[in-house]
Amino acid sequence: MGLAARYLEEKGISTVVLTPTPDFHRAVGIPRSAAIEFPYGRPVGEVGDREGQREVLLAALAVFEKAAKPGEVHHLPFTWHEEPKETKWHPPEMSPLIRTYLDEIKAAAKR
Amino acid sequence: MDASEKTVNGFRFLPPGLAAWIRRRIPEEEFKSAIPWAPMARPLNHATLALVTSAGISLKSQAPFDMEREKREPLWGDRSYRAIPRGSAAKDIQARHLHINTAYIEQDINVMLPLERMAEFEQEGIIGRLADTHYSFYGFQWENLDFIREAIAPMAVQMQAEGVGAALLTPA
Repeated sequence: MGLAARYLEEKGISTVVLTPTPDFHRAVGIPRSAAIEFPYGRPVGEVGDREGQREVLLAALAVFEKAAKPGEVHHLPFTWHEEPKETKWHPPEMSPLIRTYLDEIKAAAKR
Repeated sequence: MDASEKTVNGFRFLPPGLAAWIRRRIPEEEFKSAIPWAPMARPLNHATLALVTSAGISLKSQAPFDMEREKREPLWGDRSYRAIPRGSAAKDIQARHLHINTAYIEQDINVMLPLERMAEFEQEGIIGRLADTHYSFYGFQWENLDFIREAIAPMAVQMQAEGVGAALLTPA
Protein backbone atom coordinates (compact mmCIF):
# COMPACT_ATOMS: atom_id res chain seq x y z
CA MET A 1 0.00 0.00 0.00
CA GLY A 2 3.01 2.25 0.52
CA LEU A 3 3.92 1.96 -3.16
CA ALA A 4 0.43 2.99 -4.23
CA ALA A 5 0.24 5.94 -1.84
CA ARG A 6 3.64 7.25 -2.82
CA TYR A 7 2.95 6.90 -6.54
CA LEU A 8 -0.42 8.65 -6.31
CA GLU A 9 1.11 11.56 -4.37
CA GLU A 10 3.77 11.90 -7.07
CA LYS A 11 0.92 12.25 -9.56
CA GLY A 12 -0.73 15.02 -7.55
CA ILE A 13 -3.38 12.94 -5.74
CA SER A 14 -3.49 13.36 -1.95
CA THR A 15 -3.76 10.09 -0.03
CA VAL A 16 -4.66 8.84 3.43
CA VAL A 17 -3.88 5.23 4.34
CA LEU A 18 -6.28 3.87 6.97
CA THR A 19 -3.84 1.40 8.47
CA PRO A 20 -4.17 -1.28 11.14
CA THR A 21 -0.36 -1.73 10.99
CA PRO A 22 1.20 1.70 11.58
CA ASP A 23 4.58 0.31 12.64
CA PHE A 24 4.96 -1.63 9.44
CA HIS A 25 3.77 1.28 7.37
CA ARG A 26 6.07 3.76 9.13
CA ALA A 27 8.99 1.76 7.78
CA VAL A 28 7.90 2.17 4.15
CA GLY A 29 7.23 5.92 4.20
CA ILE A 30 3.49 6.55 3.96
CA PRO A 31 2.55 10.17 3.15
CA ARG A 32 -0.50 10.44 5.47
CA SER A 33 -1.62 7.67 7.83
CA ALA A 34 -4.71 7.26 9.97
CA ALA A 35 -3.87 4.38 12.32
CA ILE A 36 -6.75 2.26 13.55
CA GLU A 37 -6.64 -0.50 16.18
CA PHE A 38 -9.10 -2.75 14.36
CA PRO A 39 -8.47 -6.30 13.12
CA TYR A 40 -6.94 -6.89 9.69
CA GLY A 41 -9.58 -7.04 6.99
CA ARG A 42 -12.07 -4.72 8.72
CA PRO A 43 -10.27 -1.35 9.03
CA VAL A 44 -13.50 0.63 8.63
CA GLY A 45 -15.45 -1.28 11.27
CA GLU A 46 -17.77 -4.15 11.95
CA VAL A 47 -20.15 -5.73 9.44
CA GLY A 48 -23.45 -3.84 9.36
CA ASP A 49 -22.33 -1.13 11.83
CA ARG A 50 -23.20 1.88 9.71
CA GLU A 51 -22.78 4.43 12.50
CA GLY A 52 -19.44 3.03 13.65
CA GLN A 53 -18.13 2.93 10.07
CA ARG A 54 -19.17 6.56 9.58
CA GLU A 55 -17.31 7.69 12.70
CA VAL A 56 -14.11 5.94 11.64
CA LEU A 57 -14.33 7.32 8.11
CA LEU A 58 -14.98 10.88 9.27
CA ALA A 59 -11.90 10.66 11.49
CA ALA A 60 -9.83 9.19 8.64
CA LEU A 61 -11.02 11.83 6.16
CA ALA A 62 -10.08 14.58 8.63
CA VAL A 63 -6.45 13.50 8.23
CA PHE A 64 -6.47 14.79 4.62
CA GLU A 65 -6.75 18.29 6.03
CA LYS A 66 -4.98 17.85 9.39
CA ALA A 67 -1.74 16.29 8.17
CA ALA A 68 0.86 19.02 7.79
CA LYS A 69 3.90 17.17 6.52
CA PRO A 70 4.84 13.87 4.83
CA GLY A 71 5.04 10.83 7.08
CA GLU A 72 2.57 11.93 9.75
CA VAL A 73 0.62 9.21 11.55
CA HIS A 74 -2.65 10.23 13.19
CA HIS A 75 -3.80 7.65 15.73
CA LEU A 76 -7.58 7.27 15.72
CA PRO A 77 -9.20 6.87 19.16
CA PHE A 78 -11.47 3.87 18.43
CA THR A 79 -11.49 0.56 20.31
CA TRP A 80 -12.59 -2.71 18.72
CA HIS A 81 -15.62 -4.29 20.41
CA GLU A 82 -14.08 -7.76 20.91
CA GLU A 83 -10.96 -8.92 22.71
CA PRO A 84 -8.17 -10.10 20.37
CA LYS A 85 -8.68 -13.73 21.42
CA GLU A 86 -12.32 -13.59 20.31
CA THR A 87 -11.62 -11.71 17.07
CA LYS A 88 -11.66 -14.00 14.07
CA TRP A 89 -9.70 -12.11 11.44
CA HIS A 90 -7.49 -15.03 10.39
CA PRO A 91 -7.82 -16.72 7.01
CA PRO A 92 -9.46 -20.16 7.12
CA GLU A 93 -6.12 -21.72 6.09
CA MET A 94 -2.66 -20.67 7.25
CA SER A 95 -1.19 -18.28 4.64
CA PRO A 96 1.64 -19.60 2.45
CA LEU A 97 3.97 -16.96 3.93
CA ILE A 98 3.31 -18.04 7.51
CA ARG A 99 3.64 -21.69 6.52
CA THR A 100 7.02 -20.93 4.93
CA TYR A 101 8.33 -19.18 8.03
CA LEU A 102 6.53 -21.23 10.65
CA ASP A 103 9.69 -22.52 12.32
CA GLU A 104 11.09 -18.99 12.66
CA ILE A 105 7.76 -17.73 14.02
CA LYS A 106 7.59 -20.53 16.60
CA ALA A 107 11.17 -19.72 17.62
CA ALA A 108 10.29 -16.02 17.96
CA ALA A 109 7.43 -16.97 20.32
CA LYS A 110 9.86 -18.63 22.72
CA ARG A 111 12.24 -15.69 23.10
CA MET B 1 -2.10 13.00 17.69
CA ASP B 2 -5.78 13.14 18.55
CA ALA B 3 -6.98 14.59 21.81
CA SER B 4 -7.60 11.09 23.15
CA GLU B 5 -3.85 10.39 22.91
CA LYS B 6 -4.49 6.78 21.99
CA THR B 7 -1.49 5.12 20.39
CA VAL B 8 -2.59 2.33 18.08
CA ASN B 9 -1.01 -1.03 18.79
CA GLY B 10 -0.75 -2.65 15.36
CA PHE B 11 0.22 -5.98 16.93
CA ARG B 12 -2.78 -6.30 19.25
CA PHE B 13 -4.63 -8.85 17.13
CA LEU B 14 -1.60 -11.00 16.31
CA PRO B 15 -0.52 -14.12 18.19
CA PRO B 16 2.65 -13.30 20.21
CA GLY B 17 5.06 -15.39 18.10
CA LEU B 18 3.93 -13.80 14.86
CA ALA B 19 4.05 -10.32 16.44
CA ALA B 20 7.63 -10.89 17.64
CA TRP B 21 8.67 -12.23 14.24
CA ILE B 22 7.20 -9.26 12.38
CA ARG B 23 8.70 -6.75 14.84
CA ARG B 24 12.14 -8.16 14.13
CA ARG B 25 11.65 -7.54 10.40
CA ILE B 26 10.66 -3.87 10.75
CA PRO B 27 13.61 -1.46 10.73
CA GLU B 28 14.02 0.41 14.02
CA GLU B 29 14.79 3.75 12.46
CA GLU B 30 12.31 6.18 10.94
CA PHE B 31 11.93 6.21 7.17
CA LYS B 32 14.68 8.48 5.87
CA SER B 33 14.12 9.01 2.15
CA ALA B 34 11.89 11.77 0.85
CA ILE B 35 8.17 10.96 1.01
CA PRO B 36 6.15 12.28 -1.94
CA TRP B 37 3.51 14.82 -0.96
CA ALA B 38 0.58 16.28 -2.87
CA PRO B 39 -1.03 19.07 -0.83
CA MET B 40 -4.83 19.06 -0.93
CA ALA B 41 -5.67 21.14 -4.03
CA ARG B 42 -9.11 21.98 -2.60
CA PRO B 43 -10.98 21.27 0.62
CA LEU B 44 -12.47 17.80 0.95
CA ASN B 45 -16.00 19.08 0.56
CA HIS B 46 -15.05 20.24 -2.94
CA ALA B 47 -12.73 17.35 -3.83
CA THR B 48 -13.41 14.18 -5.81
CA LEU B 49 -12.56 11.10 -3.77
CA ALA B 50 -11.64 7.58 -4.86
CA LEU B 51 -11.22 4.47 -2.73
CA VAL B 52 -8.39 1.98 -3.09
CA THR B 53 -8.04 -1.29 -1.24
CA SER B 54 -5.45 -4.05 -1.27
CA ALA B 55 -7.97 -6.67 -0.16
CA GLY B 56 -8.34 -8.56 -3.45
CA ILE B 57 -11.92 -7.51 -4.17
CA SER B 58 -13.30 -8.15 -7.67
CA LEU B 59 -16.72 -7.95 -9.22
CA LYS B 60 -18.43 -11.29 -9.74
CA SER B 61 -18.38 -10.39 -13.45
CA GLN B 62 -14.56 -10.12 -13.32
CA ALA B 63 -11.93 -12.81 -12.83
CA PRO B 64 -11.19 -13.32 -9.14
CA PHE B 65 -7.64 -12.61 -7.95
CA ASP B 66 -5.33 -15.59 -8.50
CA MET B 67 -4.32 -17.28 -5.26
CA GLU B 68 -2.70 -20.35 -6.79
CA ARG B 69 0.54 -18.68 -7.87
CA GLU B 70 1.17 -17.41 -4.36
CA LYS B 71 0.56 -20.87 -2.95
CA ARG B 72 3.35 -22.15 -5.19
CA GLU B 73 5.66 -19.17 -4.52
CA PRO B 74 4.68 -17.67 -1.16
CA LEU B 75 6.60 -14.38 -1.22
CA TRP B 76 4.38 -12.31 -3.51
CA GLY B 77 0.82 -12.23 -4.74
CA ASP B 78 -1.26 -11.54 -7.85
CA ARG B 79 -0.13 -8.25 -9.42
CA SER B 80 -3.29 -7.34 -11.27
CA TYR B 81 -5.93 -4.82 -10.25
CA ARG B 82 -9.67 -4.40 -10.70
CA ALA B 83 -11.76 -1.29 -11.29
CA ILE B 84 -14.83 -1.36 -9.04
CA PRO B 85 -17.61 1.05 -10.07
CA ARG B 86 -19.40 3.16 -7.50
CA GLY B 87 -22.68 1.58 -6.52
CA SER B 88 -21.12 -1.88 -6.17
CA ALA B 89 -22.45 -3.72 -3.11
CA ALA B 90 -21.58 -6.91 -1.27
CA LYS B 91 -23.84 -8.96 -3.54
CA ASP B 92 -21.81 -7.83 -6.58
CA ILE B 93 -18.33 -8.74 -5.37
CA GLN B 94 -16.02 -11.51 -4.26
CA ALA B 95 -12.85 -11.16 -2.20
CA ARG B 96 -9.78 -13.39 -2.38
CA HIS B 97 -6.92 -12.92 0.05
CA LEU B 98 -4.74 -15.51 1.74
CA HIS B 99 -3.82 -13.36 4.77
CA ILE B 100 -7.23 -12.36 6.13
CA ASN B 101 -10.73 -13.76 6.50
CA THR B 102 -12.54 -12.30 3.51
CA ALA B 103 -16.01 -13.46 4.61
CA TYR B 104 -16.69 -10.11 6.34
CA ILE B 105 -16.02 -8.14 3.14
CA GLU B 106 -18.37 -10.39 1.21
CA GLN B 107 -21.06 -9.73 3.85
CA ASP B 108 -20.53 -5.95 3.96
CA ILE B 109 -18.23 -4.34 1.39
CA ASN B 110 -18.03 -1.22 3.57
CA VAL B 111 -15.77 -2.84 6.17
CA MET B 112 -12.99 -2.61 3.56
CA LEU B 113 -14.20 -0.58 0.57
CA PRO B 114 -16.76 1.85 2.05
CA LEU B 115 -18.60 2.79 -1.13
CA GLU B 116 -22.00 3.11 0.53
CA ARG B 117 -20.71 5.26 3.41
CA MET B 118 -18.90 7.55 0.96
CA ALA B 119 -22.03 7.90 -1.19
CA GLU B 120 -23.77 9.09 2.00
CA PHE B 121 -20.95 11.58 2.64
CA GLU B 122 -21.31 12.86 -0.92
CA GLN B 123 -25.06 13.38 -0.37
CA GLU B 124 -24.33 15.19 2.89
CA GLY B 125 -21.67 17.45 1.35
CA ILE B 126 -18.82 16.05 3.47
CA ILE B 127 -16.92 15.16 0.30
CA GLY B 128 -17.36 17.04 -2.98
CA ARG B 129 -17.92 14.03 -5.21
CA LEU B 130 -17.41 10.29 -5.08
CA ALA B 131 -15.52 9.16 -8.18
CA ASP B 132 -17.17 6.81 -10.66
CA THR B 133 -14.35 4.26 -10.35
CA HIS B 134 -12.64 2.69 -7.32
CA TYR B 135 -9.81 0.19 -7.21
CA SER B 136 -8.75 -3.07 -5.69
CA PHE B 137 -5.44 -4.86 -5.93
CA TYR B 138 -3.71 -7.53 -3.91
CA GLY B 139 -1.40 -5.99 -1.38
CA PHE B 140 1.33 -8.51 -0.98
CA GLN B 141 3.87 -7.02 -3.40
CA TRP B 142 6.91 -5.37 -1.77
CA GLU B 143 8.96 -2.99 -3.92
CA ASN B 144 8.15 -4.06 -7.42
CA LEU B 145 8.39 -2.04 -10.63
CA ASP B 146 6.22 -4.48 -12.57
CA PHE B 147 3.43 -3.92 -10.06
CA ILE B 148 3.70 -0.15 -10.49
CA ARG B 149 3.59 -0.45 -14.27
CA GLU B 150 0.81 -3.03 -14.45
CA ALA B 151 -1.48 -1.85 -11.67
CA ILE B 152 -0.70 1.41 -9.90
CA ALA B 153 0.11 3.52 -12.96
CA PRO B 154 -3.11 2.64 -14.83
CA MET B 155 -5.13 3.29 -11.65
CA ALA B 156 -3.56 6.75 -11.38
CA VAL B 157 -4.33 7.50 -15.04
CA GLN B 158 -7.99 6.60 -14.54
CA MET B 159 -8.16 8.70 -11.37
CA GLN B 160 -6.70 11.71 -13.16
CA ALA B 161 -9.23 11.27 -15.98
CA GLU B 162 -12.01 11.38 -13.37
CA GLY B 163 -10.56 14.45 -11.62
CA VAL B 164 -9.73 12.61 -8.40
CA GLY B 165 -7.90 14.82 -5.91
CA ALA B 166 -7.99 12.58 -2.84
CA ALA B 167 -7.73 8.82 -2.40
CA LEU B 168 -8.49 6.86 0.76
CA LEU B 169 -6.46 3.65 0.87
CA THR B 170 -7.46 0.66 2.98
CA PRO B 171 -4.84 -2.07 3.31
CA ALA B 172 -5.98 -5.59 4.08
